[in-house]
Amino acid sequence: MSRATRTAILGALALLPAARPAAAQSLFDRLRQAASVARTLLPISTQKEVEIGRGIAATIAGRYPVSTDAALTRYVNLVGLTVASVAPRPDISYHYAVLETPDVNAFAAPGGYIFITRGALRLIHSESELAGVLAHETGHVNARHVINQIRKSDTMREVKDQIDIQGGVLDQLVGSGSNMLFMGLSRGDELEADSLGLEYAAAAGYDPAGLGAFISRLSQHAGEGPLADFYATHPRPDERVERLTAISQREHLAGGVILAERYKENVR
Amino acid sequence: MNVARTTWRAGVLAAGLAAGAAAPAAAQKAEWTDVVYVPGRWVAGHVAAQADSLALVMQVDYFSAPPRWRAEVRRTADGQTMGPADIIVGSGRQAVVVTQLGTTPLEQHVLGRDPLVRALVVFDAAGRRTGAASGRIVERAADGTTGRIVYRRQARNPDFDAALLDPGAKAGGRTLLASGISAVGDQRSSSVVATAGARGVDRVSTPGGQVPVRPDTMAIVRMEHVSVGAMALEAFLRAGGLGVYAAPPDSAGRHP
Repeated sequence: MSRATRTAILGALALLPAARPAAAQSLFDRLRQAASVARTLLPISTQKEVEIGRGIAATIAGRYPVSTDAALTRYVNLVGLTVASVAPRPDISYHYAVLETPDVNAFAAPGGYIFITRGALRLIHSESELAGVLAHETGHVNARHVINQIRKSDTMREVKDQIDIQGGVLDQLVGSGSNMLFMGLSRGDELEADSLGLEYAAAAGYDPAGLGAFISRLSQHAGEGPLADFYATHPRPDERVERLTAISQREHLAGGVILAERYKENVR
Repeated sequence: MNVARTTWRAGVLAAGLAAGAAAPAAAQKAEWTDVVYVPGRWVAGHVAAQADSLALVMQVDYFSAPPRWRAEVRRTADGQTMGPADIIVGSGRQAVVVTQLGTTPLEQHVLGRDPLVRALVVFDAAGRRTGAASGRIVERAADGTTGRIVYRRQARNPDFDAALLDPGAKAGGRTLLASGISAVGDQRSSSVVATAGARGVDRVSTPGGQVPVRPDTMAIVRMEHVSVGAMALEAFLRAGGLGVYAAPPDSAGRHP
């Protein structure tokens, strides 16, 4: 069973109404019902995913201005494409950009539109940390976290065919997806993106400890204004770091390059 | 400029090019990339004269099935970052520039006033490529000085949709890379995907409450036009010891 199917079934499982006392309902029955619900959710094609993602990306760019620093944007794209090159989604193009805000955050809109804030770049110390953050966001795109949530939305329940995803329906889905990103994805989605980010960064040749190092540094700045939204929308840093460390040990991930100097040369 | 006449002429020319679609189905497809340099070096957005240096000025991706052809032209203003693609579609020596609203004959478009762009029409009347199939091509001015130097790389297995060569077809206006243009080349359509989906969003929910937003679709178009070529990425990987240049794991499976 693919990860996407598993995710859809588990998501649908959570949505199931308790038709009878849980104790009286076998796991098999619940799984069967969940699979049935998952099948009824209309899939969203890559083309529609990109259209929705473009709208969400435009909304993000409407809240925070996108940097026009060409050299910085190019560098962030090079790092992003390095980790994306080991990620298994050849059907989309990845685009990376910097948002001019002191807030510390990063966003991944469906279809490959990925943003990191200037505030986050100031807290990052090396290219391996940047790679870890961008790989985490790339993980959100590849696991279709926002799209899977959109599929469960009330708007999508009225949609019978891909072709209906246009005009007002598209606007509503973009609005829903934008709210999801700004309000935060589920704890499960964030932890899964951590795992995928760790995997991508290590496979690309970066020090896999980069993402954990950045998250640890965030905890030293807890309570500061620019981190308010981040803390409100992500799992606790210590929990994430513990989990990343455990995965690294289990998978024997170590070494890789840090490239602190190259980061400092490119991000000022 | 007489807009009505220009539009009519462009329409006739585009129709003429579209008629070329009836050309032999077995026309040999070819696909190649020209990387174009001129003598000099980039200084503050301009190429300054310098005899012992070359400045990268543009990259052109060609798609050809004689007599029809297509050139996707990306220019640079700093020698490093390529801008968005301008699309030129032609039949033999005739060429039109494909825009979001329609087609304009190259000689009437602002691009046609650029000698470097005019030099991109490297086809004879039958639409066959003139010049070498690949390698280094040096073009000299009448006085013997070097005009431009082209590094041409031919694709081994050209595989593209023939509709790309037709300025009247919906796909004809699309760049092979994402360009943000959904339907161009026929004068009836000017829809742009970039605006889709964000028109209805004027506020978003955040942990701090609802905040107003004004979606910026052009920022996303610019984001999509940031170009990082395969060679630049490979150079980046090599310099950092990443990707295929990363150190292999040791005998215990650990990365050193």
